[in-house]
Amino acid sequence: MSRVWLPCGDYHQRYAEDQGWWQTNVIKGKMILLLLIVFVVFPLVLDEYWIGVANMVGYTILGALGVQLLIGYAGLITLGHAAFIAVGAYTSTLLILKFPWPQLILDWGLAFPISILVAAIVAGLWSVLFGLPSARVKGFYLILTTMAAQFITVDFILTQYVSKIGGRGQAFSLPPGTIKIGPWVIDTDLKVYFVMITLLALTVMIMANLLRSRVGRAWIAIRDNDIAAETLGINIIWYKLLNFFVAGFIGGIAGAFWVSNCAALSPEHFSWFLSLWLVGVILIGGAGIEGAIFGSIFMVVVMELLQMVAIPLSEYWPKIMFSFAFVKEMAFGLAICAFLIYEPRGLSYRWWQVKNYFNLWPFSY
Amino acid sequence: MNVKKILIPVLAFVFLFGLSSMALAKTIKVGGIMDTTGATSDVGKDYAIGMAEAFHYINDMGGINGKKIKYIWFDYGYRIPEALTKYKLLKRMGVLAIMGWGTGDTEALSPTVNKDKMPYVSASYSAHLTRPVDWVGRDGKKHGGTGYNLFFSSDYSTNARSCLTAWFDKKWPKHPDYGKRKPRLACSYMFPSPYASAPIAAIKDHAKLLGFDVGPDQDVSLFALDTKSQIMALQKFKPDVIWHGNTTMSVSATIRDCYALGLRADHIVNNWGYDENLPRLAGAAMNAADALLVMGATPIKFFGQPSDNMDNVVEYAKKYNPGIPASKRLNRTPQAWGDALAVWEAMKRADKAGDLTGPGIMKKGFETMRNFHIGLGAGDLTYTPTDHRATTGCLVQEYKNGKFQEVEFVDLKARWPKQWASEWHGW
Repeated sequence: MSRVWLPCGDYHQRYAEDQGWWQTNVIKGKMILLLLIVFVVFPLVLDEYWIGVANMVGYTILGALGVQLLIGYAGLITLGHAAFIAVGAYTSTLLILKFPWPQLILDWGLAFPISILVAAIVAGLWSVLFGLPSARVKGFYLILTTMAAQFITVDFILTQYVSKIGGRGQAFSLPPGTIKIGPWVIDTDLKVYFVMITLLALTVMIMANLLRSRVGRAWIAIRDNDIAAETLGINIIWYKLLNFFVAGFIGGIAGAFWVSNCAALSPEHFSWFLSLWLVGVILIGGAGIEGAIFGSIFMVVVMELLQMVAIPLSEYWPKIMFSFAFVKEMAFGLAICAFLIYEPRGLSYRWWQVKNYFNLWPFSY
Repeated sequence: MNVKKILIPVLAFVFLFGLSSMALAKTIKVGGIMDTTGATSDVGKDYAIGMAEAFHYINDMGGINGKKIKYIWFDYGYRIPEALTKYKLLKRMGVLAIMGWGTGDTEALSPTVNKDKMPYVSASYSAHLTRPVDWVGRDGKKHGGTGYNLFFSSDYSTNARSCLTAWFDKKWPKHPDYGKRKPRLACSYMFPSPYASAPIAAIKDHAKLLGFDVGPDQDVSLFALDTKSQIMALQKFKPDVIWHGNTTMSVSATIRDCYALGLRADHIVNNWGYDENLPRLAGAAMNAADALLVMGATPIKFFGQPSDNMDNVVEYAKKYNPGIPASKRLNRTPQAWGDALAVWEAMKRADKAGDLTGPGIMKKGFETMRNFHIGLGAGDLTYTPTDHRATTGCLVQEYKNGKFQEVEFVDLKARWPKQWASEWHGW
């Protein structure tokens, strides 16, 4: 069956069409419009603050996509994804600051782009290491092994050893001008936004392609019933480890992007709460790539909007900032509970319903 | 009645009103990024409350040469990504300076505030934040200057050097082994914590200078409730004094366990582990007849402790937060006042010079201060374009007979002028 409900009167005649990237001209138009909005309109319209928020949304999406790949597509529940983001961030930072790059690479501003790729690969391989137990355990026990990734990587290796290389207490600070792509120094929020949106578009494209391939179908088969998948000839250990690699790879990209956004790094940036937060994002967002996107937008933007509501009220009720702090904490937990009870399929399902309503409009069944 | 029909317009009104009020307000704005719900909220909440009270006081005293300050603060729950968005929101709202909080936000935002030339006055007192211009460390590593990071307090390294000096001067000569052997020092702190480990190099250096034997460091988590294994590891070394770099909770656990296991060492504590809660949590270890000696760095006096300006701190605490009794307030409140009073003076000077901007507050405000007195038992403040160490030493206090008492104000610059000027800056 097609991944999308086509407008009335449109039918596919071949499987290739069924799995097509942009299946109709309308969809193609909508996608081009979306790209125009994020690449042209947003940078023109949004001010520095909202661009900063957009960067945070992008970082959250990049983090959540890896979690979605593990939990949503392969049923491998993780509570340690911040570790792989951290590995990406530290690899990228160390490569930028410490690696003896040939002058040519530095002159051409290639150190940071190369570091993103290397960071993604290193994070992917690190993720595979902690994915090895998935060959033997699943469910609750796998959650514990992924939590071990968090504690071993961030609390032990990065904090005890790696972060001391920074030479500034436990923190790394990237001097201005060190993060460059070609001739462009990434030193404003807008430039960071372009880095983010490019990385995000590429990641989404690669992930979406992967999911409609044999690999993606194998992951979904393992998620739905690993024994049945193995009976069908799928090497479940190989595909599970591949899933860990790709999830870690995307986490590594998120980490490398974070470096460009913050220009500073310490283990405190990758607390266990971040891992938990990313799971919350996909619980609220729901299934699929769009689930990670919607969940991230919801979690970041809604929290910011709530803050904006509190600001004017503080004029008349000064203590609201203290009260609101706890409400905000509570909102995260409440949002997850509310979605699990009232919208268990998340925001992406609601979006799917809206989309299909208009696809079939005015002649719905 | 349909609740949605009422709720949506109300929320829309509040939201739009919020945006419009943000755009139209003409007051001088100062921002705040605090932690009242996160990992450091045990001390952060008192600091946040104290900061808000201090700005009420500043406004009541005439604000910035007659102009009121609108202090807008947010809780970031010690989540670094949130600190970044909060910073950008405050910048968008047009704040001229930001009152920050701990190591997490201060370190993460340091490159950004220095790029944006936004004075960021925080409660993270790491020594490496005191060098405003680029510098090369003892190890030959290049470090970027942190020209827009500031605090009123002595830094952690100065605190540790001061405490060690005070103990060496006042307590060690009373020890039965004085003159027979070197005193023995051990350090107890969370190795991976950027805050706790910040002054370690300075402590080791100072111990060498004073002639200590230094024992094995003990890794104690900031969240530790039981530290017996670390204490047992120290029993062979038999330290005369233990330096604590953690916060109150785990410091109290370590002191309790020392007492329980019979390790009769004295204790010196960094400022974030030394507050009114410490004797309460340490129990008999600090209150019994055979209690251990516990000294600590107090860059500012305890809440209500006699000193000039303290009356205002107590009065405003009572006025704006009557629900919190004075017995529950901590020295974090005067600490917040210390930073607020420093910013107030810097802004007044910048305003008088007709340059109330980030760079103006820094260059025509802070960096013109020479021995500026803020009271509260804090050292007088001096900032120069090349040196942001606000004070030259630290007041050391001890807990004795159920109350905190002064031991001495150690002026490191006066005692070691050469090292202070050229060797100890920035680490």
